Amino acid sequence: MIELLDPTVEVTTRPITYVDRPRSLEGKRIGLIENTKFNSDRLLAKIGDILKAEYGAAEWRMFRKHNSSVPAHDEIIQELSKSCDVMVAGIGD
Amino acid sequence: MPAALTSTRHRVEDPGDAIEFCFQQGWSDGLPVVPPTEARVRAMLEAARLEPKQEIGFITHRAVSITAEKVAINAVMAGCLPAYLPVVVAAVEGIADPGFSYHGPGTSTAGAGVLVIVNGPIARELDVNAGDSLFGPGWRANLTIGRAVRLVMRNVCGSRPGTLDRGTLGHPGRLSYVIAENEADSPWTPLHVERGFRPEQSTVTVMAAEGPRQFYNQLSNTAEGVLTTLADDMRISGNVMGQPHYCVVLAGEHMRTIAGGGWDKQRIRQFLWEHTHNTHAHLRRTQRMSGAPEPGDETRLRPLLRSPDDILVVAAGGRAGAFSCYIPGWSSVKSSQAVTKEVKR
Repeated sequence: MIELLDPTVEVTTRPITYVDRPRSLEGKRIGLIENTKFNSDRLLAKIGDILKAEYGAAEWRMFRKHNSSVPAHDEIIQELSKSCDVMVAGIGD
Repeated sequence: MPAALTSTRHRVEDPGDAIEFCFQQGWSDGLPVVPPTEARVRAMLEAARLEPKQEIGFITHRAVSITAEKVAINAVMAGCLPAYLPVVVAAVEGIADPGFSYHGPGTSTAGAGVLVIVNGPIARELDVNAGDSLFGPGWRANLTIGRAVRLVMRNVCGSRPGTLDRGTLGHPGRLSYVIAENEADSPWTPLHVERGFRPEQSTVTVMAAEGPRQFYNQLSNTAEGVLTTLADDMRISGNVMGQPHYCVVLAGEHMRTIAGGGWDKQRIRQFLWEHTHNTHAHLRRTQRMSGAPEPGDETRLRPLLRSPDDILVVAAGGRAGAFSCYIPGWSSVKSSQAVTKEVKR
């Protein structure tokens, strides 16, 4: 009999706390995180418009990251937390 | 009493079953692994004098803590000798560094590998190949150290092909991509000394990288001649519009030709930077820059590289053969920087 040690990560020592999702977007202020990839601003603006027209969101604002591979910088996070209720972020090619 | 190893334990009948079990669990890169038993993992940790719980790196984007225990388990599986662990650990520290910015190279469709360049005395002590058949195969240290790094990325950081790792093509260097600089024969300042370390320190430099591209110059006996060929080959390569790092690996014959002309690494970098500009017109005509060529685009230049300092110049490769290579970095320097870490022993 041989005993093997599991090579995969089993716990994260610093769990992430997520805010609860809102039940509705009615009257919510939307933050859009633009990651600088080509056309991502156009795609996000379209999403923002749909969230306003079809889901009753109050407004949207767009925030531009330094580039697609790095986390949103502190200024964006601070501004988002003050001026937005929900945010949309993503990545694609 | 040594600290307990806290990883989940799995029981199998014999070594053959153990190898098959690791495949079935999805822990392997596609090749058989050495079964990670407690005795083997402990020998790794003892060689590097590491406590199992010690955090080697923290991948912020994924909130993943990489502990010494997990690095050691994956190093055993990769086939490392215990003496290699400090090098693996330094490489893992490198990819967890905020400058390397793991999430991009660890997930991107562009399919980067982690080029690992070993400098200093440890390269010779561990027989990390800096010479013939540089990128392998044939050297245990080169093959298993890089394999261990990739297994950590797979098993600990979650970069599994098809899920978090979305590399469209990837490349063979993603199995292992480790070289040492040939400091014994090189006439130049070693890479780690250029990057702020002392010659007697041992270091690992990691760079998110595409595959190596060999160029030929069997004609010229001058530095300018060899480097002109190299620049011409490099000019349209990799992420042409991104301005990534490049690593230039100069092998024996080219190294001697270039150094014979009195050129140092700084001069090589400057020459390559100056001779790898593209015209906007060419970039537009070849659909790398959007839009049709505009007036002035035939003479308006865009450098392939942001700065000469973004080129890592390494002396390595076999003594014979008028070949060298360049390695385009992944994406852009803004997205991921090469990082050098000291090997702690």
